[in-house]
Amino acid sequence: MNPPVLDIRGLSINYQTAIGPLQALRDVNLVVPEGKIIGIVGESGCGKSTLISAIIRLLAPNAQIGQGSVCFKGEDLLSLSPEQMRSLRGDKISMVFQDPMTSLNPVLTIGRQMSDVQYRSKSSRADKKARSVMMLERVGIPDPDTQLQRYPHHLSGGMRQRVAIAMALMAEPALLIADEPTTALDATLEVQIIHRLKELQREFGCSILFISHHLGVIAELCDEVVVMYAGEVVESGSLREVFINPKHPYTQKLLECDPARIAQPTRELPVIEGSLPDLLNLPDGCIFRERCSKATARCGTEQPLLSGDHHQAACHLLEPSP
Amino acid sequence: MSTVLTVRDLRVRYTVSRGFVDVVHGVSLDINRGETTAIVGESGSGKTTLAMALCGLVPVYGGEVCFDGEQLKRDRRNRLSPDRKRVALMFQDPLGSLNPRMTIRKALAEPFRIHRTGSQDPDGEALRLLAMVGLGDDFADRYPHQLSGGQARRVGVARALALRPDILIADEPTAGLDVSIQGEVLNLLSRLQQEMGLGILMITHNLNVVRHVADQMAIMYLGRFIEQGNSQQIFSQPRHPYTAALLSANPSPDPNAQSGQIELLGDVPSLLQRPSGCEFHTRCPRAQARCRSSFPDLTTSTGKQQFNCFFPMGE
Repeated sequence: MNPPVLDIRGLSINYQTAIGPLQALRDVNLVVPEGKIIGIVGESGCGKSTLISAIIRLLAPNAQIGQGSVCFKGEDLLSLSPEQMRSLRGDKISMVFQDPMTSLNPVLTIGRQMSDVQYRSKSSRADKKARSVMMLERVGIPDPDTQLQRYPHHLSGGMRQRVAIAMALMAEPALLIADEPTTALDATLEVQIIHRLKELQREFGCSILFISHHLGVIAELCDEVVVMYAGEVVESGSLREVFINPKHPYTQKLLECDPARIAQPTRELPVIEGSLPDLLNLPDGCIFRERCSKATARCGTEQPLLSGDHHQAACHLLEPSP
Repeated sequence: MSTVLTVRDLRVRYTVSRGFVDVVHGVSLDINRGETTAIVGESGSGKTTLAMALCGLVPVYGGEVCFDGEQLKRDRRNRLSPDRKRVALMFQDPLGSLNPRMTIRKALAEPFRIHRTGSQDPDGEALRLLAMVGLGDDFADRYPHQLSGGQARRVGVARALALRPDILIADEPTAGLDVSIQGEVLNLLSRLQQEMGLGILMITHNLNVVRHVADQMAIMYLGRFIEQGNSQQIFSQPRHPYTAALLSANPSPDPNAQSGQIELLGDVPSLLQRPSGCEFHTRCPRAQARCRSSFPDLTTSTGKQQFNCFFPMGE
């Protein structure tokens, strides 16, 4: 079996602030196997964005990598020089961002931008154009020849996101990172994009790391899921295991809160009481303890570790009592 | 249930360099006290423009709006002039709609100052409003940037309801919120609606939210309502093919769910070139020759469910 495309081990990242270090990620482990779609679920402030910025090495200047490694096909990205890293981005690792309007250049035509991203290729201008047309066809854009002459503002949101996907897949990357690519789109277009991504993933055989807080989209697309809370991975496993039989109290609550899972219409929607812990002053013990209805004395003192074979969760309740 | 706002054949037209676009194209709607009416539709379908027209923020091109049985006048620039004390608007971006240099106390006291209404003690009112939306007194002296997304929404709710309006127009009240906080904001709105007998017009594209909180719903496509009626009825039996596709497209978080999704082909047509006949025929899986040439009349089925389609679902 091939080594995983991405293997993150023990990654911790702090942000230096005026009032001390903010511990945005703590001991995060994540594996993206070849040809799989891995979803990261979590609410705002759980560290999703910090994690992907760390993978593509575009962290804010005040971020500090405490420890850990981010191995891409066996090579630690954290030890690469900026030049080496640059040669990977857009070639072996590419990204689709949340807002397609801001990730495309508004003053250049689609065609120019699509040729520009092929700057590594030695092929002729006509070949680059032909390849652009072919990619637009594959993401389902009608009449690609004409579209190449248009500017981003001529296109609708769904079309722009498809152009962004075409550009990201242009170099046939081994890993595609998609950061909430459908949040700005409506339900019908969201479904179009998800189906397209799934088809393209099969065609190209790449791996996808898909970030979203929309549980329905994750369920529709991903093979495996990683649940993050306040900078830690609290549960991971196959989609079915995690969504049908969640082990961690946070995952259970999160799934319960989704109005889509509540069959009977109700005016009293469930909520998770309390708020996120202060990442400047981390509480002792389990990170979710203050909002957990099942917490015991042990949860206040001892931090639970991920346990389990494939379906892992970090909760004391899952361990046999000592 | 008493009707508080009646909208008949409302039109909003924007002039653009190549002519004009009808962003809201003949919309009729009733909003009842104590009820929530949801408007759903894709971006660009005219939802937000409709809300802005009802608040008098953009000129209207045609149609009538009655508030409590009385027809609203238009100002010199053709904008409706509703009593701003009685029609409140909650904007889509809660942080963007708060002045970054104003404390929450000042922002919440502002409606009283502007409308010079009775209260002798705007500060006290601000604290009362904070308590109403479940925020402590310590929030009064914070600035907007010190609030989380959910807290900023609560402040938005407090400010909109400060003068006890009859109608609240909420534009995407839960956009950008996590599911756990989304529930808090919706529960808060439902509770206050009960207490104040408020009519809520909610604009959203989150169908899961609509299913739980809306009594009535309308589906908007290219500036028209293509289907409207009781929301439970529409969810259980959509008649217009677009409604059916929209409802089926809602991704389910249950991995065992049968997908049965109707995938619509193509994109939303441009408002500059409205398709002939039924405007949905370019994407409709059921379209036939007749749909391309003539516009279907409004059909009313049992239970006042209304739709425009020659070949409705379930027939």
